[in-house]
Amino acid sequence: MDEANLCRLMTWLSSSFPVGAYSYSHGIEAAVEEGLVRDRGSLERWIGAILRRGAGRLDAVFLAAAWQAVRAGDAGRLTQVAERAAAFRGTAELALESTAQGRAFLDAVDSAWPDLRLRALAEPLRVVAIPPVHPVAVAMATAAAGMPVRLVVPAYLQAFAANLVSAGVRLIPLGQTDGLKALAALEPVIQGVAETTREGTMDDVGTATLMVDWSSICHETQHVRLFRS
Amino acid sequence: MSVVISQSDAETGIVAAPGGALRLGFRQRGQVTELADLLQRAPLRALFPRSHEPEAPVAVIVNTGGGLVGGDRVDVHVHLEKGATALVTGQAAEKVYRSTGTPCRLSITLSVAAGAWLEWLPQETILFNGARLERTTTVAADPAARVMAGDILVFGRTARGEGLTHGRLRDAWDVRVDGWLMFADALELDEDLAALLADPACLDGAVAAATLLYVAPDADRHLARARRLMHPHLGAGLRGGATVVGGILLMRWLGRDAMMLRQSFGLVWAAFRSQVGGREAALPRLWSV
Repeated sequence: MDEANLCRLMTWLSSSFPVGAYSYSHGIEAAVEEGLVRDRGSLERWIGAILRRGAGRLDAVFLAAAWQAVRAGDAGRLTQVAERAAAFRGTAELALESTAQGRAFLDAVDSAWPDLRLRALAEPLRVVAIPPVHPVAVAMATAAAGMPVRLVVPAYLQAFAANLVSAGVRLIPLGQTDGLKALAALEPVIQGVAETTREGTMDDVGTATLMVDWSSICHETQHVRLFRS
Repeated sequence: MSVVISQSDAETGIVAAPGGALRLGFRQRGQVTELADLLQRAPLRALFPRSHEPEAPVAVIVNTGGGLVGGDRVDVHVHLEKGATALVTGQAAEKVYRSTGTPCRLSITLSVAAGAWLEWLPQETILFNGARLERTTTVAADPAARVMAGDILVFGRTARGEGLTHGRLRDAWDVRVDGWLMFADALELDEDLAALLADPACLDGAVAAATLLYVAPDADRHLARARRLMHPHLGAGLRGGATVVGGILLMRWLGRDAMMLRQSFGLVWAAFRSQVGGREAALPRLWSV
């Protein structure tokens, strides 16, 4: 990847990119309320499980699968991946989190880096009303720009993990240094998940994070809430 | 040693082929739903006990093999034609025995036409320690069909205090409405099962999990009702909740006591079928909760 693409990938996945990431906690707000996440150790463990056994792995697989489909010029395959990625959401708010960020991501990329190829990729999905979820949107833009999946997947997972750590830091609350320590501890997990999902094999994707789904369901009816998920 | 074990597993796979199968089709004639298609291949059979609701048949699936072992392959296909009403359940809990390598594979397809009402209410599936199960349940519904579909998984022979330490489970759901995939889910447990069952973000000590899906054009309108029905049963030993994804109403339970979970699941099912489907507020006698 050349320097221009490196800078662009950093921008697209930075926490200041306008997808509203800061407003989604992936159920951590409810998990803190329930006492399931209460300090740096439990936050690290919770996010580690999401990466290894939950939406982290799932999104990495869908990202890689969508990226391969775009690179192969296979629009039918991209639609199939986008359809499954959108359907594979355990709760209403986890669906909202991924769908809203995916839409915002493509809008933001299109307004500042207009690319006819990317618009052509998005059009068939729009026609059949399949919303590109966040990992699929990132796959479309990065594949169109020629960024390598080997780097895009871990970068996506890092941004996802950093956002959840930031939610935990605000909710528990923790000091900034504890947040950084958690992120440092999650680095090998991110690398491990990225390495095992790069092929984008969708047949055997699955999750084990039932308590994350349960927390997200609890969040729907939580009285006082700062986050949208 | 390990060579001998894998050979015996391979043999099991060959013996089990082509595997058990059951095809059940129902059609509506006048005010009554009747059986239109029945194919049974051992070890699966279907019984049709007299129903409380004579216009709507109940089918009971029997596994005469008494459980599933590695290499078993089972296919179930239930089809309801336009306007038909039926409930399909199991005669007993399905036991999945320890396997040394080969998984057993269950494929369940529920296809439901416009105006039909299907309840897919299997009894719980009990995974013995070392069991390897791959199950896929596919719902293919017309936009005007209504389907209640659920399952209960029990992790180990919990009544004997047996938990799971190894084995593998993949339990996948695909829900298609008018051909479009509206909801997909797969529970995937492998490697160190004891660690996953204990992990606070995974099962957090639960020994049983249940899912109830309601697929219908107005499914999302029943979210508040689902929450209200579940709420009285929930507490420290039984977690649960309801949500709507892709227009499909989803109810979920996680329990530290399998019997308590089964009871809540059954009570919610009976109330829901009555309040939403206009059916009797009861379950088949086999299912007494």
